[in-house]
Amino acid sequence: MKISALKVLPLFFFISVSLLFMPAAHAIGTGGDLPRPKKLPPEIEDVIYEKNSLYQFIKITESKRRGERYIQNTNRMLKQGGVYINEPDKLLFEYTRLSFIGLAFLEQEPKDALFIGMGAGVMPRYFHKYYPDTNIDSVEIDPDVYDVAKKYFFYKDEKTMKVYIKDGRVFMKKSKKKYDIIFLDAYQGGHIPFHLTTREFFQVVKKRLKPGGVIVANILAEDRNRFYYSMMKTYKKEFPHLYMFEGFASDNYIFVTRVEDTKIDKFTVWQNASKLQDEKKFDIYLPEMSNAYSYYSEDDNKAEILTDDFAPVNLYKHMSAD
Amino acid sequence: MIYFIVFICGAIVMSYEILGSRVLAPNFGSSVFVWGSLISVFLAGLSAGYYFGGKVADIRASTRKLALIVLIPGIMFVSFPLYGYVISDWVFDMELGIRMSPLVASMILFFIPSVFLGMVSPYTVKLMMCSLHTSGATVGSLYALSTMGSIVGTLLTSFYLITIAGVQKLIMAQGIILIALTIPLFLMNASCAVENKKEQ
Repeated sequence: MKISALKVLPLFFFISVSLLFMPAAHAIGTGGDLPRPKKLPPEIEDVIYEKNSLYQFIKITESKRRGERYIQNTNRMLKQGGVYINEPDKLLFEYTRLSFIGLAFLEQEPKDALFIGMGAGVMPRYFHKYYPDTNIDSVEIDPDVYDVAKKYFFYKDEKTMKVYIKDGRVFMKKSKKKYDIIFLDAYQGGHIPFHLTTREFFQVVKKRLKPGGVIVANILAEDRNRFYYSMMKTYKKEFPHLYMFEGFASDNYIFVTRVEDTKIDKFTVWQNASKLQDEKKFDIYLPEMSNAYSYYSEDDNKAEILTDDFAPVNLYKHMSAD
Repeated sequence: MIYFIVFICGAIVMSYEILGSRVLAPNFGSSVFVWGSLISVFLAGLSAGYYFGGKVADIRASTRKLALIVLIPGIMFVSFPLYGYVISDWVFDMELGIRMSPLVASMILFFIPSVFLGMVSPYTVKLMMCSLHTSGATVGSLYALSTMGSIVGTLLTSFYLITIAGVQKLIMAQGIILIALTIPLFLMNASCAVENKKEQ
């Protein structure tokens, strides 16, 4: 009854190695974790700052010719945020501009706003410029991102603008404050951390929302992947209506939802946006954004609803819809 | 059979660790503190397991007793949905701070199973070590198998299993595998002492 150890070993080795390559080959075949790097842009971007933080590799680059400065995490081509160096109050990225369409869904004047995931801090800063009296809380997990926002992206703490270094979900679960508008824009590399994509998370978010409040989420979905469909279904499960604004020049979608049951049509959004535009004189043109309006009506895609128990976010990003 | 068990237990330890991060995330986020506590709790469990497993193995080691060692985490895994999120919520409500909360939650949820899974290694060494001439090779191949299992468990879980089933189902499935393993162990009823006698 004695089996020699050495005889069995190669067999197990073979099994392990073949098992290893099955999923690995799958992952590589579908693009791994990073989008395929496109060709380097012709102009040279100078790296002005690099740091390995607790959560990521932060890199700040600058293009002198374009007068733009970017933040990117992990060494890839995906830029997470940026500014025009000479006009730091302008919104450089399409999704940051598009996000403000969320204001057209808001019935009341926003007194309290929340940003989950601050990045370069461009959006809270822009919001503050047009709503100086609104209390703006930003939640950022990575202390180095906050430092960088201050040093390179013109962010300043103000009386009405505060930053909390915390996990977004933990912050909201502990917080008792309610907000008129909540921006969800927390990313880790190219994907949203899974615990910020689930039904249970949205239940937490709902509790932090005032009546009539609005949730605005930035969803990065290259080629409408499976994650995109799962995200729509999950939102639809927790909220009565889901409005989507597709980026024209980017792979970003802005999802807008409310707890209230009344549907807001495209015309109303346009009307509200026009009114806001006259009132606030944004340097972006809000009514134009309403063109990207689309309403999610349930279709029979096979995507799953994401829950705390089941949320393969980063894997779904590389799967097609069916 | 023993080799197989070592392999599977190695795979399940790491797979459970990966799933553990998913269990903790809803309450404690995915900060470095969560990963730090998770990894150190598993290592603490394993090292305690190695120590006590070795001690227990010296008291008339048999496959039936090994079956018992494997059975306990098996039962804990199968019943995980009953207490997993309850404990996690309970620790969250205690508000121990961003470092202590995930550490305490990991301690309660993951320490005991990893102790028992850690015990498997020295115990199987004892069972397999029937001749002192090849003891080096025996121990070496058991270590190698256990670690290979861990690699497979880690990759399979994080690359693949997470897309096909929920975290709770996966943990329960691991429990079922462990419980299933105890059956042949129990029926074999082999021990080194017995084999030594036969050889004489």
